[in-house]
Amino acid sequence: MTTRDFIQERIDSLQNRDVLLEVQNLKTYYPVTGGFFKRVVGNVKAVDDVSFSVRKGETLGLVGESGCGKSTTGRTILRLLKPTDGKILFEGKDITKISGSRLQKARRDFQMVFQDPYASLNPMQMVGDIVAEPILNYEKRSRKELEPEIKKLLTRVGLPEEAYYKYAHEFSGGQRQRIGIARALALNPKLIVADEPVSALDVSVQSQVLNLLKELQIEFDLTYLFIAHDLSVVKHMSDRIGVMYLGNLVELASNRDLYREPLHPYTQALISAIPEPNTAIKKERIVLKGDVPSPQNPPTGCPFHTRCPMAMEVCSKDKPLLTEVRPGHHVACHLY
Amino acid sequence: MATTSTLTQQKKPERSLSPWQIARKKFLKNKLAMISSVFIILVTLLSLAAPFLAPYLSSIPDVSKVNISSMNITPNSEHWLGTDKSGRDVLTRLLYGGRISLLVGFSATVLVISIGTLVGSIAGFFGGVVDSVLMRFTDFVLNFPFLVFVIVLNTILMGIVDGLWVLIIVIGLLSWGGVARLVRSKVLAEKENEYIMAALSIGCSPFKVIVKHLLPNVMSTIIVQATLIFASMIVVESALSYLGFGVPQSTPSWGNMLSSANEPDVLQGKQWIWMPPALVIIFTILSINFIGEGLKDALNPKSLR
Repeated sequence: MTTRDFIQERIDSLQNRDVLLEVQNLKTYYPVTGGFFKRVVGNVKAVDDVSFSVRKGETLGLVGESGCGKSTTGRTILRLLKPTDGKILFEGKDITKISGSRLQKARRDFQMVFQDPYASLNPMQMVGDIVAEPILNYEKRSRKELEPEIKKLLTRVGLPEEAYYKYAHEFSGGQRQRIGIARALALNPKLIVADEPVSALDVSVQSQVLNLLKELQIEFDLTYLFIAHDLSVVKHMSDRIGVMYLGNLVELASNRDLYREPLHPYTQALISAIPEPNTAIKKERIVLKGDVPSPQNPPTGCPFHTRCPMAMEVCSKDKPLLTEVRPGHHVACHLY
Repeated sequence: MATTSTLTQQKKPERSLSPWQIARKKFLKNKLAMISSVFIILVTLLSLAAPFLAPYLSSIPDVSKVNISSMNITPNSEHWLGTDKSGRDVLTRLLYGGRISLLVGFSATVLVISIGTLVGSIAGFFGGVVDSVLMRFTDFVLNFPFLVFVIVLNTILMGIVDGLWVLIIVIGLLSWGGVARLVRSKVLAEKENEYIMAALSIGCSPFKVIVKHLLPNVMSTIIVQATLIFASMIVVESALSYLGFGVPQSTPSWGNMLSSANEPDVLQGKQWIWMPPALVIIFTILSINFIGEGLKDALNPKSLR
């Protein structure tokens, strides 16, 4: 079986599965306060009208440059941030508005792997306690009773069993990230939001952690929302990829389609920036002019029109909607 | 791809040291802090044992009774530190005074740290309106004229509660503002770390996040602050008692003993009456400060001493 067949088989198998997570017109604004009475004088539109859905067992990658709202999207979906508007449906249930103990209960099914392996582990807790804590939050069991289970989990993510008795500061970045993964796995969740899980790691360690995540996905039937800014990392991990720009989802397509035939000018520019290892192939690099506009005061119409090499008159007036221009290939651009 | 990505395994049978154990190790190596600790423990033990020691130390073990026959005796073999103008043995009073001064200092510190930590951590963690309300209240408390309030509250409460505890409560209720501000600022900095968000995402309640994740990480600051407050509380007690608004005059305390130096005659001619409490206060406070300094070094992960 060739790689292509393998990928095709995976795509087919995912097609028939249920939707696990559905995000509809999600908006997350950070209020900007000013003046003596701290009145709200504006909003940073970190996530501005984003919609997508993720099927069970699938990996949806979110890419974009820093500040485009991809982390905010992930955190809002887990309800670690308050959504301003829109809907988040998890297994068909609306989790946008729930709070308090109901939210706490719901969190059992969706976990997060954090970006900074140095800040995401409590330095005062023993690794065993860090990994056992999520279970202890939901089940009435003793720490002693859990010990063999936690040790097994630690070995599964590639750590020695003795790690149980150690503290986070005794581990390297990659090992810490494995602890973070073990913590996220402890509750056997359905969805894991991985917020740039490897961007703080060495390249050599990155691949180990990525492969671990892939193995775990098959073993535990996990669904990933994989957030990253590194295009090759996203390509390696994802079944489908969403490209974000200034709080908007500008293109959403399968892994193959996106890299082979990017439709949105921004995606084209991004993909042209991937270094080509084969020097014989001459690649045309699309260099964008200017800077990303402020999300506090985004441009009218298409958010990208200020830097788009193919901007038309309509682009500055009407905001293009994300539409399916080819089967499974969505793009928000007036060109199509 | 192999299913297990094994890492180089080092066999270490024993458990790793927790951050607290590391701090203890560092503290035990700090000579000045250790000497100070020994001194404080000695003073505390001697004070606690005062009722048992008193009969052996002098022929007049009663510390509150006036004894006309033995007034103003200079230090000798019977009265090691002499007697005061009411004929009471200075050494015995010093030991009994230690009980009161240390009790007031310790209890007031516990009260101050508890209120300050509670207010500070809630304000820092929840932020927003909760933070604004609590911190404005803290500013309000910080702006109370301390002495005036102590005197007024002391007078009001005097009949209701036992004199000593009035002082402790009054000092405690008026001094927690600084601790609240400090804890709040530490919590604000600490809660930006991703592990706090991680704690929420694994299903901890806000209360559990504060108690299990935030407080242990700001505890080092609180402990150091507590030692410094302990020292200043002893000073406050002494100062108030010296002024006559502290512990009731009948109860011996270091501050009350010092107040006898009010009289020029005692201050100039009978140094044995006020020197001992003064020296004990100075050395106690110095020691507590050295311990605080030692704790600061020990709890700071960056210091290597």
